[in-house]
Amino acid sequence: MSAKKKQSGKQSGKQGEADRALQQKIGNKMILMALVMGAAFCFLIGKTYTIMRDNGDKYKKQVLSQQKYDSVTIPFQRGAIKDRNGTLLAYSERVYNVILDCYVMNHSNDDGAGITPTIAALNSCFGLDVQELRAYVAANPDTRYHILKKEVSYDEMLAYQEYIENYNTTINSENKNREEKLPRAYDKAVWFEDRFKRVYPGDSLACDVIGFTTGDGRGQYGLEEYYNDTLTGRDGREYGYLTAENALERTVVPAQNGNTIVTTIDSHIQKVCEDNLKAYDEAHAGEFREGEMGSDNTGVIVMDIHSGEILAMASYPYFNLNDPKDLSMYSDAQVAQLIEREGGEEEASQFLWKNFCISQSYEPGSVCKTFTVAAALDCGAISDGDSFDCKGYLTFGEGEHATTIRCHQRYGDGMVTVKQAVEKSCNVALMLIGQKLTKERFLKYQRSFNFGLRTNIDLAGEMRTSSLVFNENNMGITELMTSTFGQGFNVTMIQTISAYASLVNGGYYYQPHLVKQIQDSNGAVVENIEPRLMRQVVSESVSRLMVDYCIGVVDEGTGVRARPAGYRIGGKTGTAERSGQGKRDYTVSFMGFAPADDPQIAVYVVIDRPNTASQENGTRYACLLCRDILTDVLPYMHIFMTEPLTAAEKEELEEKGKKLTLDEESLSANSVSDNAMTQESTEKPEDVRILIDNKTGYAIDPINGERLDPATGAPIDDNSSIFQDATGQPIEIRVLNGEDEGKEDPRE
Amino acid sequence: MSDTTRRQKASLDLPLILSCMALMTLGIIMIYSTTSRIPVEEGHLSNVQIQLLAEFIGVVGVVIIYALPYKLFRWLGKKPARYVILVIAFVSLLLLFTPLAHSAKGATRWISVGPLHIQPAEFIKIAIIFFAAGFLSDHPNTINTKFGFGWSFGMVALFAGLVYGISNNLSSAIIIAAIGVAMIMAASNKWILQLLVYSIGVVLIVIYAMGKAHAAQAKGPEAVENLKFRYKRILIWENPSDPQFLQVGGYQTMQALYAIGSGGPQGKGIGKSVQKLDVIPEVHNDMIYSVLCEELGLFGVVAIFFLFGVLLFRCLAIGLGAKDSYGTLICLGVMVHIGLQVILNVMVVTNTMPNTGVSLPFISYGGSSAVFILAEVGLVLRVARENAA
Repeated sequence: MSAKKKQSGKQSGKQGEADRALQQKIGNKMILMALVMGAAFCFLIGKTYTIMRDNGDKYKKQVLSQQKYDSVTIPFQRGAIKDRNGTLLAYSERVYNVILDCYVMNHSNDDGAGITPTIAALNSCFGLDVQELRAYVAANPDTRYHILKKEVSYDEMLAYQEYIENYNTTINSENKNREEKLPRAYDKAVWFEDRFKRVYPGDSLACDVIGFTTGDGRGQYGLEEYYNDTLTGRDGREYGYLTAENALERTVVPAQNGNTIVTTIDSHIQKVCEDNLKAYDEAHAGEFREGEMGSDNTGVIVMDIHSGEILAMASYPYFNLNDPKDLSMYSDAQVAQLIEREGGEEEASQFLWKNFCISQSYEPGSVCKTFTVAAALDCGAISDGDSFDCKGYLTFGEGEHATTIRCHQRYGDGMVTVKQAVEKSCNVALMLIGQKLTKERFLKYQRSFNFGLRTNIDLAGEMRTSSLVFNENNMGITELMTSTFGQGFNVTMIQTISAYASLVNGGYYYQPHLVKQIQDSNGAVVENIEPRLMRQVVSESVSRLMVDYCIGVVDEGTGVRARPAGYRIGGKTGTAERSGQGKRDYTVSFMGFAPADDPQIAVYVVIDRPNTASQENGTRYACLLCRDILTDVLPYMHIFMTEPLTAAEKEELEEKGKKLTLDEESLSANSVSDNAMTQESTEKPEDVRILIDNKTGYAIDPINGERLDPATGAPIDDNSSIFQDATGQPIEIRVLNGEDEGKEDPRE
Repeated sequence: MSDTTRRQKASLDLPLILSCMALMTLGIIMIYSTTSRIPVEEGHLSNVQIQLLAEFIGVVGVVIIYALPYKLFRWLGKKPARYVILVIAFVSLLLLFTPLAHSAKGATRWISVGPLHIQPAEFIKIAIIFFAAGFLSDHPNTINTKFGFGWSFGMVALFAGLVYGISNNLSSAIIIAAIGVAMIMAASNKWILQLLVYSIGVVLIVIYAMGKAHAAQAKGPEAVENLKFRYKRILIWENPSDPQFLQVGGYQTMQALYAIGSGGPQGKGIGKSVQKLDVIPEVHNDMIYSVLCEELGLFGVVAIFFLFGVLLFRCLAIGLGAKDSYGTLICLGVMVHIGLQVILNVMVVTNTMPNTGVSLPFISYGGSSAVFILAEVGLVLRVARENAA
């Protein structure tokens, strides 16, 4: 081998010499090139080292700050709101926005062949239009974020993902046996962006109490606003960070979900109240003032008198929590009237969102007589056996300041005991009691009953009324006199029912409240909110007397209509003129408790400006509302009937029972409103049977002894009285005979 | 050099083989580090597996080349063969116009051969080495005539131009031209004149390009927007952190610098790079040097330059001791190719020159690059075998 080579080398000797010379030449330059390269290498090592040395800290920070970009916020879930039985009134649900990434579709390896199956999947899962999608993808080839559909549920999202997965698996197995490959659907072209959505399963149920949340998750009105901090959790975060050894760690700080609040609301009672309010409105909308609702405002509160827990709180008009701006449940005329009255669409909505029961004040009228009487009894100004002489009017003050206030009973109620004064709602007797009570003690008790102060109920938007009641400085004798029967000062519904509850529960004033428990997101109890006893306002014996008087009001006095069949209850009616307005407008109300022998709950119904021909007679509607509510609520609360039923009542209840069973079979949602309608209609025939009172010559309603017009059967309203204020300016006041045998007081 | 000294050398050049193996091992580690978090689709190979496969093919190539009879090896540089190789290279370039072509990252530079995508440009580099080595050693004197220089330079220029024109790949064109020009200069007598002319030409091109880029910059952002990306890259090179260029390429450069800087001279440790996590584009490819710096620090830098230094030094030594000028020229071509590619790549990553896509031999992920670089090492080993014979 080597010999051969040498031979060939010799053969090309001359050529070999030349080649060697060439090689030498090349070799020299090769060394040169290698040196140049070596120098370049050294330069680059130096260059790299310089970057490492000089920019270390700066670039480390830069790298760290870039990692922040990598962090993801994990949204918290807002706490739920439950009723006392655990029924959900409000909760947050994870929903998904469907996002289309056109860029992925148009820049795939298969030149867009997968667009067709992807769009087909979108069509089958979300019902999106194929043509539209195609057009969009073609028109916006580089769009990376396009919301196809908002707020799809978890199940829908899962269904889509499964569809894509199944489709691609099928295609893959199919493609194994195929020459021409079928296109796969793009699994990365559609993705889901999740967020939480507030859901109110009851739509408008307890809308005033619950309130709603804005788009950015802040509570507005009601519990949502008051308990916003409790319901709000803390966002979680997923992020990467560098450890001391410069290693990247990814960490998840889980979101802290908001706490759940358990309210004292009972959804059933709440629903009964709301349905009755709606039924009232249906019956009276447009009755007198065309195109208006049954009243400006109607409110109901049901309260547990032994703890201050609110069982139900409702008002009409209402709104839909899931769509607070929606006004479609009202007629166009009603909406127009509302907007005109409130001065704009925005204001009209805000009016709906406001909770009438806590954020609007009014003059309470006769309901407050109970507080005057209780105060006078408690401080010893009068005693149970005292009697007062009602001559039909009372003049007080001296000289030119002399003022005369008339009783609604023009010829006077005669001698009345304290109990009768309450039963008959006698203004003169009350004023006489007020004179004995004196201004100082009246005001002391008024404050004690919490009038003029906020109740501090756990709801957002409770009204301040401190400037709407009298104090020592601005209360003259006239103010004291009108205050004794509930005119001249303003209260809110929640103040009144809280004070009334203390009258009939033994004298204990509880702070009203709506939330009894706070739970964490797993349902563990974080805090129990116990009933808060504020003070004893009257003695137990006075409380017993007041219970007795109020039972008298329903048994034989002004509140007869409020009694539910089979039960004995107590209560007090109220009819108050809305002051400061030229028109004669009234706020009518009924405050009741049940059952009579062992008071458990208080119910307060207020109808503000009832839409009826004679508003003052609206008191009867307040009584009827209370009756309808109690008819449903008392059996529900396992309170048994104690009174014998008349034939008519039996029939009525049976019909109601039938209706109930029917409703349960079909749809229980509307049961209560239907029942209310039934009751209205069964009652009417009785109303037209008119008897004549031999003594006075008035027509008498057989049920409650109310005086009636013999021709029409409508209650008579011919009793007016003149009320003169301190300046001697006569003000005409309607004397009301709404529900009270025509003996209802003026300015109630 | 006498025959006896040649015999004393080992038949296999161990330092060369060892440095190559060390570089490949380092490369596999870095590719694993940068790509392990990329999910692998079912039925597909991971990047590391593809790289290993390519390197295996490359090693088989080395063995085949090493086993070639020297006559055949020499024959490849002789008259019909070297032109046949050029024609094959030309045809492979034309394949880019056929359905076999494979596009990625906005350019058509690959031909699909089974699971591998081959860049014809890589093959042309070898073809040019064969052509120049064969032509220059066959005609040692012709090269000093106008015709000889014109013919050889023309061939080199033609193929560099074709690569640039067809696959729009400036960096490969530069490397091809550089290999050819270096080999021609090495064999020429008037090499200083050539160097002067080339230098002036390069300077003129640079001045022209920079002038054009700056003229656009002076006109305002819109003119810059409309610039061809090559000119834009000059502006980016001068000011990579300018927010105007964040979307266009400044981002990649800056992130690479951040990686190098944040790693510091000590480095963060193998696998602990942060910048590889979807931050640096092409991190396992052209930009792998930045992660190598970030993870291994100055140690890694010195290590790879040392290994490349050994490799190039062995090329030089083998070339100097080659049996004939043909072998020397082959070694020179390979040395220039590998060395230049290393230098260009590191210059790009450290922003010493405008960005252009050059991979780091043995380290960067890339199948065809690995196969052909190994083939070139095989050529050098083949030359070395003759030295020992």
